[in-house]
Parts: sequence; C-alpha cells; structure tokens
Amino acid sequence: MSSLQSWAALAVLVPLAAALLCVVLPPLRRAGKPAAALCILASLVATAASIYLLTQHEAGAVTRTEVPWIVLGGKALASIGVNVDGVSVVMLLVVCVVALCVQVFSLAYMHDETPSSYGRYFTLHALFLFSMNTLVVAPNLLQLFAGWELVGLTSYLLIGFWFHKPSAARASVKAFWMTKLADMGFVFALLALFVATRGFDWNARLSTETATLVTALLFLAVVGKSAQFPLHVWLPDAMEGPTPVSALLHAATMVAAGVFLIVRADPLFAQAPATCEVMLWVGSITALFAACLALVQSDIKKVLAYSTCSQLGYMVAALGAGSAFAGFFHLGTHAFFKALLFLGAGSVIHAVHSNELADMGGLRRKMPVTTLTFGIGALSLAGVPGLAGFFSKDFVLAQLEGKAGWIPWTMLMATSFLTAFYMGRVLIKAFGGAESAKAHHAHESGGAMLLPLVVLAVPALAAGFLGGVLAEWSGAEYHVHLGLTPVVASCLAIAGLLGAVMVFGRGRAAPFAGVLESLDRASAVDRTWSGLYRHVLLGVSAVAGFVDRYFVDGLINAVGYTTIESGARVRRLQTGRIHDYAMAVVVGALLIALWGVLR
Amino acid sequence: MNLTHCLLLASFLFCVGVYGLLTRRQAVAVLLALELMMNAANLAFVAFAHFRGGPGQLFVVFALAITVAEVAIGLALVMLLYRRHDDTALDRASETQG
Repeated sequence: MSSLQSWAALAVLVPLAAALLCVVLPPLRRAGKPAAALCILASLVATAASIYLLTQHEAGAVTRTEVPWIVLGGKALASIGVNVDGVSVVMLLVVCVVALCVQVFSLAYMHDETPSSYGRYFTLHALFLFSMNTLVVAPNLLQLFAGWELVGLTSYLLIGFWFHKPSAARASVKAFWMTKLADMGFVFALLALFVATRGFDWNARLSTETATLVTALLFLAVVGKSAQFPLHVWLPDAMEGPTPVSALLHAATMVAAGVFLIVRADPLFAQAPATCEVMLWVGSITALFAACLALVQSDIKKVLAYSTCSQLGYMVAALGAGSAFAGFFHLGTHAFFKALLFLGAGSVIHAVHSNELADMGGLRRKMPVTTLTFGIGALSLAGVPGLAGFFSKDFVLAQLEGKAGWIPWTMLMATSFLTAFYMGRVLIKAFGGAESAKAHHAHESGGAMLLPLVVLAVPALAAGFLGGVLAEWSGAEYHVHLGLTPVVASCLAIAGLLGAVMVFGRGRAAPFAGVLESLDRASAVDRTWSGLYRHVLLGVSAVAGFVDRYFVDGLINAVGYTTIESGARVRRLQTGRIHDYAMAVVVGALLIALWGVLR
Repeated sequence: MNLTHCLLLASFLFCVGVYGLLTRRQAVAVLLALELMMNAANLAFVAFAHFRGGPGQLFVVFALAITVAEVAIGLALVMLLYRRHDDTALDRASETQG
C-alpha cells in the first residue's frame, strides 16, 4: 500500500474509530461534549488527510489497493479497498470539509440537547463520515453499495433524530422506504453485472443490452437517493431532521451520492445511450418541477430542499448528456454553496426559533455576517456571473446545447430563472423588509456557527475558478467560452433576481399569490406516493399478514391442536385396570387366530 | 382315548382359564386362572409328545420351572397389593391410568 492509499484509508478509518469508541463506551457518549470533541477531532484528521492527499495527487493517476473479500473456494468474489483517483480525491475533500464545517456548526446549534443525545448526534455524524468516505474511495461497485446503504442508514437515523416528534419519525420512515425501494435497483444491477462479468468492476465491457439493463437499474437507485422525480418526495420531508444534518446529508453529500455513482460508473453508462436519454429527461423534468415547487414553500428549509432536488436534476441531466465531468463539477460547487445556505438557514432558525419565512424579515441589521454569507450562497446558487454556481451551471448548460431538440436546454434555462427568482424571494423575505415580531429579539449567532459560514463562503465564491484544475485531474475537457449559453444564463439569473425584487420587494406579492397557490397543488406527486404506500404496500402487507396468521400459522396450530386433542382422547385407553389389558390381549390373540384360520 | 380328546380337554381348561382371568376380581383367583391356562398348554404338550413323539415332555418340565418363578412373583405382587389397599381386588388398583 503506497502512502497515498494509506492517507485515504486514514480518512475512512479514523471516523469509524471515533464512532466505534462512542458506541462501545456509553459513558463517553452520554457525557456529550467529550464525544463531540472526539468526533470533530476525527473529522479534522480526515480533512487533513484529504487535503494532504489532494496536494500529493498527480493528475490523471489512478492507484488502488484491494484486499480479497468474500473468499469462496480460494477465489475472491469481490474485494474491499481504497481507490485513489481524481474523482475520489476531490470528493473526499468536499465531503470532509463540509462535514467538518457542519460538525463545528452543530456544536453551537445543538447546544440545547441533553448530553446523551448530544453525544448520540455526533456519534451518528462520525458514522456518516465513515460511511460516505467508504462510498467515495470504493474500488468496486460492491463496496460502493455497502457505503451507499450505510449512508442511507445514517440518513434514516439522523432524520429521525428527534424521534419523539411524530412528524420526524414519519419522515425518517418515509425516507427509508423510498430509498430502499429504489435501492432494490442497485441490488439487481449488481446481480446482473456479476452474472455478466463475474465481478463488480465499473470498467467492465458489456453488450448493449446488458449495459442498458445494469445502468437502468443503477439509475433507479440514483432516482431514489438523489431525490429525482418521481421519487423526490422524501427529501422535503427529510427537513424534519436537525438543520446541520440537512446541510450535510440532504444537500451537500449524501443525496449527491447518486450523482457520484453515475460519475463512477460512467464507463458503464457510456455503453448505454438509452439510459442516458432517460437520465437527460428525468434530470430536466426534476430541475424544472422542483424549482416550481420551491417558489411556493413558506418554510425556508423546504425552499432549500426543493432547490436541492432541482440542482441534482441539473447534475443528472448533465450526466445524461454524456458529460460526467459537468455533473461532478456542479456536484462539487453545489455541495459548498448549498451547505452554506443550509447552515445560514440554521443560523437564522436558531435566532428566530421558527422555520417560517413569515416569522423572519429585516434580519440584515441583526445578523450581518449570516446575511452576507447566506447572500453569497444564494447568489452563487442563482448563478450570478463570477460566483461558483455560475461556472458549473454554465458548464452543465453548455453540455445540453442541441441535445434532444434543445428542449432540456430550454427547461434548464427556465429553471435558472426560477432559481434566481426563488432565492431572491427568500433573501427578501428573510433578510429584507421590516422586522417581524420574532425577528425583533434575534441576535447574531456565536463564533462556532459563524466560522463554518465564513469558511464555506470562500469556495461558494471562488470554487468556480478551479474547474480547469479539476478537469485536468479527472482527465476531462473543460473550456470556458463566451457563447450563447453563458450570456443567456447570466441574463436570466439577473432577471430572476430583479423579478423577485419587483414582485416581493415592496409587499407586492398579492397578484402572484393565486398563481403560486395553484402551483402548490403540484404536490399531487406526494399524495400519489402516500396513497400508493397506504393502499398498495399496506394492502399487500395486510394480505401477507392475513395469509401468515390464518394459513401458515393456522396449519402449524392445527397440527399442534390435533396432536393434543387426539392425545387427550387416546390416553383414556390407558385405564390402568388389568382386566382391560387382559381383555385386549385376548381379543388381539383371537383376531390373530381368526386371521390365521381365514387366510 | 386319542389325541383329539386330550386337545379338547386342554382347550376346555384354557377357556376356563381365560374366563377366570377376565371375570375374577380377586388377584389370587386371577393367578389361579393363569395357572389353569398354563397347565392347559402343558397338557397339550404332553398329549402331542405321547401320540406323535418329540421333546414335548422336556418343554413341560421347563414350563413348570417358569410357572414356579411366575407364581413366586405373582404372590409377592398380591402381598404388596394387599399392603397398599388392604384388599386384593384388582379393579381398585388402577393408579397407572392415563
């Protein structure tokens, strides 16, 4: 194992060690603060390792170390190990930096928790970092799947962190169901891949049919994990979890695992043009649809959640257009500015004790640092020229030029406008205008919350300029050119922001209220899924339960009952009286004699 | 007197034994009935040995020895039964019923 892989392994194993320590030493976990310190230390080590890895990594190099896993008859069916290349190094850095920022932020944000749930929170965070890093450095699809399921588990546990709240418990179960439903695709994809190639390598050469089958099944898993239409409904509900969790899992890293999977399995997807076509459309539809829903949310976290769906749609569309690098680039910048936005929202929620945009307003004077950093994140997301989001979004849009009759391109351009519009709405409603009653008592958050905001604001501002370096590392092509796409995109972004000022700036939202309300009915998708859940899944469960209870159990009970009953009857034959036995012997002897005579 | 007469007598004795076995309540009477059945069989053995030849008489000697052992055990059981119930009626000794 070379030193590079050792550093990557360190980034995986140190968080695991921290999580395990907290799990096996309940006193440490229940003490709260020491557990938090341990977990943050582990994240710090992982971040340092990933930064060191980045400085040492040579462009285009791929090195891996694997040890045999699942050895059967002397032959390893799979391997487990560390894969170091441009994609995994960058992703590792993004995950570790965002995780570290979020954990430091949580120190203050979760301050009101009891020590034992404080400790539980950070234990889960360490477990998440381990799971996500396992996924990122996976050298084959099987280990990636293991990490994939582990992050799903931590997501479930963290959404339901406040499990005594019925809505949180429901949301966590919903997220679990929806993603597990989709993960069946991953399992079957692995099976199909193994049957075809006897391995789990994403570089496998397959026939077109097999490649289409495997990638379609993988894409099903991606639709669930990355909250694409029509399986996106769990993500807005996942906002029941603590806000820093939303920032880390449900905006920056875990939901991006789906996109990461496609980037990883790009050689497979390149062999399946049919799946890519579907991805292009699903991504575009999700982007536009979720952006429309983001317009009408009154909860600041829900706006950001739908916005995450929408931006993930951009990435999936870019991957569908055949550019893994565009998707990955947008993943990286999005991770920073969306984590920043969520943490900013967390800072605001912490100050006004409410998620509702109506309870905010006029916070720019009370919370200048939060306002500034949130503003940077919002403008970056909106795609204002020069900020990180502009470069990656522009690159995604450039990949879509001319694809499928320009329709996806048009849809994503419209989404750009809507993105700027709804972010402008949030900025104006939360930070502009007059102070609301709750905002009156708000005050700026403490240093532990502001530091991560400032740290994340730097890449949200400047990460866009790293596109060229990133492309070189991943061995992809990247050019910034002043053509049709960037000009239109910038104009739409600015138009969207100006439009928001016009509409919401001076309390002139009234004419649009009706339009926005009708959009809200679009959440019919959610109702469809809950109806399906209630009627189909629970119905099937009820039938299965009935069959189990009355047929399977009934059969077993019948056997037991018959044995007991017949025993109770037969035992009366044992009268204990010697005459009866003698009679039986005599009758038996006579019958035998009779049989002998008549034979 | 030929073999048939002897076998008829043996059968009659056996049936009397069976009847006694099934109808008597007193343990001693049942033991007597068993003896009667045993001797019916012995009579058949002797009769066959007398008219047809063979080692039948030898078996009778064996059977008599076994009968002695059986009677010893049987009377011991009757003693125990009496100690337990102050009576030797067999229909009261039904402790082993299921």
